[in-house]
Amino acid sequence: MATRAEFIGRIRREVGKTAGLFTARTAPRPARPAEAAELVKRQMAERWPQALDRFREEFERVAGVFHRAATRDEVSAIILAIARERSARGVVAWDPASLGLDLGPALGAAGLSLEAMGAAEVGEAARHRHRASAARSDLGVTGADFALAETGTLILLSGAGRPRSTSLLPATHVAVFDRRRLLESLEQAGVVLEALHVDPSRSMSGAVINFITGPSRTADIELTLTRGVHGPKEVHAVFVDEPVSAETPW
Amino acid sequence: MSEELLRTPFPERAGSALRDRFLQEALGIATTKFIGLRRESFDGFPEGEALRDRARSIKEATLQKLDVYLGQLADNVEALGGRVHWADGAEEAREVVLKLCRDRGVRMAVKSKSMATEEIDLNEALERAGVAPVETDLGEYIIQLAHERPSHIIAPAIHKTKGQIADLISAVAREPLAADPEVLTAAARRQLREKFLQADMGITGANFAVAETGTVVLVTNEGNGRMVTSLPRIHVAIMGIEKVIPSMSDLVVFLAILARSATGQKLSSYTTLVRGPRQPGELEGPDEFHLVLLDSGRATQIAGPLREALYCLRCGACLNVCPVYRQIGGHAYGYTYPGPIGILLTAMLRGSRAVADLAHASSLCGACKDVCPVRIDIPRMLIELREQVAREEIAPRRERLVFKALGRVLASPAAFALSARLGRLLQRPFAGGGRLRKLPLIFGRWTASRDLPAVAARTFRERWKDLR
Repeated sequence: MATRAEFIGRIRREVGKTAGLFTARTAPRPARPAEAAELVKRQMAERWPQALDRFREEFERVAGVFHRAATRDEVSAIILAIARERSARGVVAWDPASLGLDLGPALGAAGLSLEAMGAAEVGEAARHRHRASAARSDLGVTGADFALAETGTLILLSGAGRPRSTSLLPATHVAVFDRRRLLESLEQAGVVLEALHVDPSRSMSGAVINFITGPSRTADIELTLTRGVHGPKEVHAVFVDEPVSAETPW
Repeated sequence: MSEELLRTPFPERAGSALRDRFLQEALGIATTKFIGLRRESFDGFPEGEALRDRARSIKEATLQKLDVYLGQLADNVEALGGRVHWADGAEEAREVVLKLCRDRGVRMAVKSKSMATEEIDLNEALERAGVAPVETDLGEYIIQLAHERPSHIIAPAIHKTKGQIADLISAVAREPLAADPEVLTAAARRQLREKFLQADMGITGANFAVAETGTVVLVTNEGNGRMVTSLPRIHVAIMGIEKVIPSMSDLVVFLAILARSATGQKLSSYTTLVRGPRQPGELEGPDEFHLVLLDSGRATQIAGPLREALYCLRCGACLNVCPVYRQIGGHAYGYTYPGPIGILLTAMLRGSRAVADLAHASSLCGACKDVCPVRIDIPRMLIELREQVAREEIAPRRERLVFKALGRVLASPAAFALSARLGRLLQRPFAGGGRLRKLPLIFGRWTASRDLPAVAARTFRERWKDLR
């Protein structure tokens, strides 16, 4: 087993042999990521309607199901309808603070069990309980920290109260977001990722960022497209006109 | 690849692929479909060409400071609570994983698709050590059940029929399942879901690793990469050292062209950015995160003739367009990495001796270079490899003699003119319709699989003299 010093030393010697031969450059980067991200935010405050149209188009192209709710109350009704249509029994959701919504009352009134892990619960027992409930739930409800129009992608940061598996284990995933989450392009996403790194307080403290572009899919059997191989078979995006006060990077 | 298969010479491996009717049909359909999807995707994406240039430039610039970026990546992974392992070769990389399994009492490991782990024959090593490796990409799962190896970088089981797949998945389910992709996929979902929840270790490769943030990036369509990095208590990522990139700004450039090149998607269903083990406050994620950095002959190519092959993103686009791959498929190449880029990677990992035959398994048509998202000049390197194989006298003696003689003839105008006249005379008994279809003696080996154009009644040079 090589030590780090030996390993890197050898690479340094090889790199040295090519000195001056190549003049390539890495990608241009924002000098001040936080400011660049603020600029993106200001641009999107104007341009979100176009981004929303594009998001919807691209999201539907990858077999996503798009919903638009005028109010927060309407979101609960949409989620309830999705749950009923799929005869869902168990629903798992992000912590109400991370989601910006408390689905408990509406779902409870309809006789559905809701598991929403409080952000404070982190012990071994809580972890086991959460895993079991996520594995048996039919529907997972999350926020979306960003909705990327160019590709119809939902971007979710993991962290306290925002488990990774909510958008993975249940057969149906529903993501709820408002206009402030919209981004136009992958390039903007790059700026945002740079800014998240510079300011750790925005990272939501989790280890994982997922770009979700449509349902889980495979074409491994005779190139036949099949959905829901490991992750969700269906992905729904619920756009809310009323602001949703979820805890998000900004 | 199994030793047994490698003992068969390449022409025989290729020959048996050519006789496999189903393989021929499946390869034709699959590669043609992928070509169309890729083309459509780039047609509607005018900025794609500039992004390809930029991506290539990033790879080149990164290699210029690879030592710096690897150090930065390692520092950041460790700061996040992960551990970094430096593996000179396949054996060291395997040993890292095996030792972890021994020390942590690992009985089962779930894997998401990783060419690096195929490259180091990790599954066989795990099995010998009493650890059950479970491939979870559907295609990889199928070929693991069949005890085979992937035949395409991104569609590992394109050589299997749904009937064969139904038999394999039915055997696990202990009930007969219909040969229907929907039914079989649902059954595999149930079978593998259990494994995800039981496994002690998750093993992945890395499509990219971002030095500045210590992030490992996994691109999958099925979501198995997410399962493997979220559910087991240990996550091990194994990556070639060339997969590191400097920053998130670089990452989005690659993301914009990777899936388009592979499957024609704008993005794959899941792009997962993983930073170390579970962080405080999280309910899920592994207790431990290990990153294995694998050299295996890569470093010596930073300043070597195969340098450009280090830019490869493993998208598979060059396989689909290659007239040789389209005929023989992945297995006939005999090593982990098939297709045009595979020949170069095999030479990098196993030395030029391993590709004495394979270096010629290309028509040098250049289609691979045209579709490569980072514009790797594969044909140029294949020609150089052929040269090297000849120089190092690895090629068979007879072949070297023929090429030496040919070289002399082509270098002298007088000898060339003479050979044309001689050829015209000698070909008489064999020529028909401007083609030579069957030649005697050792020349028969050429005409056994293809025609040779006959020497023209008047060669170009002869006509040129008159025209002037």
